[in-house]
Amino acid sequence: MRKLLVSVLMLAALLASPGFAEGLLPDIPKAMGEPHPEGNEWWRVNHPALLMHSRDQTVIEGIRDVDASIKTCVACHAVEGPDAAPVTYESPKHICRACHDYVAVKIDCFQCHNSRPEEADWAAVLPSLGGTPESLRAYLERISQ
Amino acid sequence: MISTVYAVLFYLATILLVVGVGMRVWKYATTPVPLNIVVSPAPRTKRGVVFRMFREVIFFESLFKSNKWIWIFAYLFHWGMLIVLLRHLRYFTLNTWWWVEIISPIGRLMAFAMLAGLLGLWARRVLQERIRYISNPSDHLMLALLVGIAASGALMSYVTHTDIIMVKAYMLGLLRFRIGDMPTDPILMVHLGLVALLMIIFPISKLLHVPGVFFAPSRTLVDNAREKRRVSKWARNLPPLPEGIPANEEA
Repeated sequence: MRKLLVSVLMLAALLASPGFAEGLLPDIPKAMGEPHPEGNEWWRVNHPALLMHSRDQTVIEGIRDVDASIKTCVACHAVEGPDAAPVTYESPKHICRACHDYVAVKIDCFQCHNSRPEEADWAAVLPSLGGTPESLRAYLERISQ
Repeated sequence: MISTVYAVLFYLATILLVVGVGMRVWKYATTPVPLNIVVSPAPRTKRGVVFRMFREVIFFESLFKSNKWIWIFAYLFHWGMLIVLLRHLRYFTLNTWWWVEIISPIGRLMAFAMLAGLLGLWARRVLQERIRYISNPSDHLMLALLVGIAASGALMSYVTHTDIIMVKAYMLGLLRFRIGDMPTDPILMVHLGLVALLMIIFPISKLLHVPGVFFAPSRTLVDNAREKRRVSKWARNLPPLPEGIPANEEA
């Protein structure tokens, strides 16, 4: 028994390598703009609760001026498709689907909400159309008013 | 550090589960069955036995016939657990299978079926004096272990989430013998720890009814004692009878 334990431990030490996640994690597209101060891990765990909270504030309590809305999420996290336009939720490259497909979690946000900015604002959020962190910030300020 | 401890724990638990259950199954398969002890009324053909075992495994037929309350709770628990387990396949396959995706929302709810079934079965052991009297500590502890697993899992689904992206990456890594980092949320650690414990004690527990049901001679034999004489292996090698005793007993 002890021999078995020792050999398993040694094997485990051998296997623990920094490059473990290679090919095992979803391809999460980088967002433009400043990173969330809470960190990505925090957001991965808590974004459903935040979205539900915002929904309750808006729909039930009638508070419209919440800081964050899905509109701002999909602005910073817009992913450019092959046609020089942000992809919609139809595409597996969409920021939400990158992870949600990976763990088979279905969301119904985009049955009503737009999964990308309006066409007039594409230039503000896509680097290839001239979008910069500044133009993005200006856009975010405009839509949060 | 914690990730490595859990990795070792899971590798050990897997070895113990596979080897342990394998040894048990071997023992069951090689245990002599000298007599046809099938419980009648029983099917008189092999095909009939297969059909009866199918009903036993899928519908828990004999339990249904003996006790409706136990059947309801056992059925809730077992089917809830099956769907919950199938839902967990999403953590072990890089590209989640389509049918796992389909059952996923149902699997989320099935945590409650599991818990209801387990608590019902447990209540029976506590509240019914006759059953309380014959309950061993292991009966209660098995139920406690399963309730712990189901409750910690449901907590992560419904109350305090964990980073399932990293959980999946960690599990996929374990399957490829690459140990990465797992989230260190207390509830996740309790959940995984209890699962490893379950895997370890499975081969020495009452949960062996899972493979055992397929080796129960009172159910798996064909009721053909009249048509076919059953001679056990050792009886075939008996020395010839002394002179004067008639060899043919089929008078």
